[in-house]
Amino acid sequence: MKFTGVFTFNADQQTVWEILMDTKAIAQALPGVEELIPVADEPDTWRADAKLGIAAISGTYSGRIRMSEQQPPDKYRLTVSGEGQQSIINGTTLIHLRYDEEQKKTILTWEAEASVSGKLASIGQRVISPAVKMMSGQFFKALDKQIPSEKRTS
Amino acid sequence: MASRVFGASIKRKEDPRLITGEAKYLDDLQLPGMAHAAILRSPHAHARIKSIDTSAAAAVPGVLGVFTGKDFMDVNPLPCAWQAGGVENHVNTPRVLEPEKVTFTGAGVAVVVAESRYIAEDALQLIKVNYEVLPAVVDAQKATQSGAPQIHDNAPNNVCMEWSCGDKAGTDKALGEAEVVIKERVVNQRLIPTPMETRGCIAQYLPATDEYTVWMTSQAPHVMRLLMTAFVFGIPETKMRVISPQVGGGFGAKIFLYPEYCLVTALSKKIGRPVKWAETRSENYVATTHGRDHITELEVGAKRDGTITALRVNTYANLGGILSTIAPGIPTTLYGRLLSGAYKIPNIYCHVWGVYTNTGMVDAYRGAGRPEATFVVERAVDMVANQLSMDPAEIRRKNFIPSSAFPYDPKILNGLKYDSGDYDKALGKALEMVGYQDFRKAQADARQQGRYLGIGFSSYIEMCGVAPSAWIGLPGEGWGAGLWESANVRVHLTGKVVVTSGSQSHGQGHETTTAQIVAEELGVPVEDVIVQHSDTLGTPFGYGTYGSRSASVGQVAVFNSLQKIKEKAKKLGAHLLEAAVEDVVFENGKVHVKGSPDKAKTIQELAGAAALGYSLPAGMEPFLDDTAYYDPPNCTFPFGTHICIVEVDAGTGQIDIKRYVAVDDVGKVINPMIVDGQVHGGIAQGVAQALWEGAVYDENGQLLTGSLMDYALPRADLLPSFEVGRTETPSPTNPLGVKGAGETGTIAATPAVVNAVLDALKPLGVLHIDMPMTPARVWQAIQKG
Repeated sequence: MKFTGVFTFNADQQTVWEILMDTKAIAQALPGVEELIPVADEPDTWRADAKLGIAAISGTYSGRIRMSEQQPPDKYRLTVSGEGQQSIINGTTLIHLRYDEEQKKTILTWEAEASVSGKLASIGQRVISPAVKMMSGQFFKALDKQIPSEKRTS
Repeated sequence: MASRVFGASIKRKEDPRLITGEAKYLDDLQLPGMAHAAILRSPHAHARIKSIDTSAAAAVPGVLGVFTGKDFMDVNPLPCAWQAGGVENHVNTPRVLEPEKVTFTGAGVAVVVAESRYIAEDALQLIKVNYEVLPAVVDAQKATQSGAPQIHDNAPNNVCMEWSCGDKAGTDKALGEAEVVIKERVVNQRLIPTPMETRGCIAQYLPATDEYTVWMTSQAPHVMRLLMTAFVFGIPETKMRVISPQVGGGFGAKIFLYPEYCLVTALSKKIGRPVKWAETRSENYVATTHGRDHITELEVGAKRDGTITALRVNTYANLGGILSTIAPGIPTTLYGRLLSGAYKIPNIYCHVWGVYTNTGMVDAYRGAGRPEATFVVERAVDMVANQLSMDPAEIRRKNFIPSSAFPYDPKILNGLKYDSGDYDKALGKALEMVGYQDFRKAQADARQQGRYLGIGFSSYIEMCGVAPSAWIGLPGEGWGAGLWESANVRVHLTGKVVVTSGSQSHGQGHETTTAQIVAEELGVPVEDVIVQHSDTLGTPFGYGTYGSRSASVGQVAVFNSLQKIKEKAKKLGAHLLEAAVEDVVFENGKVHVKGSPDKAKTIQELAGAAALGYSLPAGMEPFLDDTAYYDPPNCTFPFGTHICIVEVDAGTGQIDIKRYVAVDDVGKVINPMIVDGQVHGGIAQGVAQALWEGAVYDENGQLLTGSLMDYALPRADLLPSFEVGRTETPSPTNPLGVKGAGETGTIAATPAVVNAVLDALKPLGVLHIDMPMTPARVWQAIQKG
């Protein structure tokens, strides 16, 4: 399955990059996640439990998040693997940042590819696709909220 | 009697309890102390199980036990009871839970038994399985090619069996000499039966007697007991009672012995309490059998005048990751041997590859092999007609087996003959009902306006009433049992009649139609007859309900029992009337001396006299009670013509069914309303295969159509009001003259719809569209033209 999305931050690109790299901020922004726990001996890798409450994909999932291919402040990759509800989810997202001088906004675009096995797979893209859209929207919005007002461009 | 009961559309005796919700389905049953099981299923289509950690699940309060496949190594793998005949089968069957390897998404690997289903489901989430994921293959043809992932060690190139029937040399020669040869690759896509009630099982073990009682959603409870005791558990058959309570539809998927039934039975002993497992709809999609899934290369040869001379078929039949109970029998005996259809085709050869893939189990689904055969034949006939610019009705008439040719030996039926038929009559009636000539005019006019109307034919035959045991048991057919049926009839002291039958009713209305046969023969009111079935305690052995065999085999056993009862009643009546038995007759429920109907003994009086035993002829035992076992001398061969009219929107690819005419000949009809119901339901499912339904696996073996939101079942609002007609050609095979009506719709409808769509798109040069013919596929075919 492939997903794409766009989110606009009212901040400069460096500020957005910093918040994207802040694991505390990420943990607060990830839907259903309380804490990101660094995995020993694996750089840029964290463990997390998530509680989701969206229709057929409700339940507890445990997963790992890894950051790679960082090119500050333009680009990085997030690789996610999760398990729960008799299902296995693997995904990778490439995130690009671009600053729009005119509007004074940072535009984030993401392209993700995911594979789902087990119970969740049989629900199909019908449920998963809107859920991913909704959760990614929530995630970026929650990150955006954590940007201090003095750093906002508008 | 003023009017016959046999042949009357009386209302179903079973319906009041069904429509008021009083009927108890499996999941309605509650036993004291009952525990609940939930099954952990593999999220991978092909994987080795490296380890399973159940400790966290076992620690959940309310959990009574957590088990994996390793805990059941003393339980045998399930049997495969119908293998492809006369050839080697590389058999791999499920275990109650898979201990080492899974071969499809949804295979059970662990089970939690708990005080409630909620606790069991929660605990299930805590089981950790460490899998080694292996590459998967889902396409049956690709699975046989070199380099494909190998699923079972004993099945090189994933081939379970290779089977053939017919005359290879003759067919090759005839195709070589044919004036016209047409080739096509047709896919009969995988379908998911989706009965209204999902599966389930409750088992109770009694240590004092070492006996099991097992309630399960089965179309064949006697066979389930036989397979579970003799093959899976290795215990005496008498130590188990199997009860199939009210069963909410099966369509074939509830014929089979499933791992869960054996698992729950084993758990009831391990836990020491009754255990229930009720399948969720999600489980039903992945773990209950699917149907069809053939990839077929067909070649048909004909003369320029439209005479079909040869049919060669090479089919890859997808059997899934592991074999269900009768999986190999469906694409062989029930498919290849039916490829002559309603036609004289002098040369036929069919080669079948039964193939393992990393998909759910495939077995019989309503029609079972015969819809696949009919699709091949009816498409082939239309292809020839199209190539030669012949009328599709005309080419059928030209090639029909004439009514004078019965019994007809199509030569590929391994000795069986079509029993009776008048194919031209059924086609004629259907043409008349549809107003064929008028339609062709309307079609031409519509084309002038840029509207695309099409008409499609399907002149099918099917084989019901399987089967003579001595035939199905032949080495060429591979069936591992008999196929007779049985019935016991008792007329109680009060004149009320109790029939116990080995057949099983899960929507067919046996309680009504059997009562009609009894009422007709004994002259008692229908209300005075009760029919008991689906419990191995108290019913004689039967092979179960499938293949449209309950009228033409099961109810013939009822009829034969009634003849024995009538014979005894006649003797008793003669004795009471002080007449010689040769001088009395049994008529309209009374025994009287020929010509003196006024002085008669009613069946109720005779039943009372037989039960009391005060005055019986010398040597006669008390009570009217007899049992018959009926093994049919032949199968029965229903037939008919279905005609579908569609309009295709060439701009969007949307198909609208304008009319659907069905003329079926199912022999004598016991209850026309019930037959109409069967025909309607079957057509809905057959149309759905043509237009909407289809199981979709991704390349990793994940089922993408695993819910009622994702799998396109037919809905009433998508279908027109069916125009149903009948011709009646009694079957000479059995004394009731019945043939079978449960599957005609699914067998006939699919090619009728496809042929109609292709007829509509003929001016646009479209010759082929794969099923389901979704608007996207139709639109793309139009663009390619």
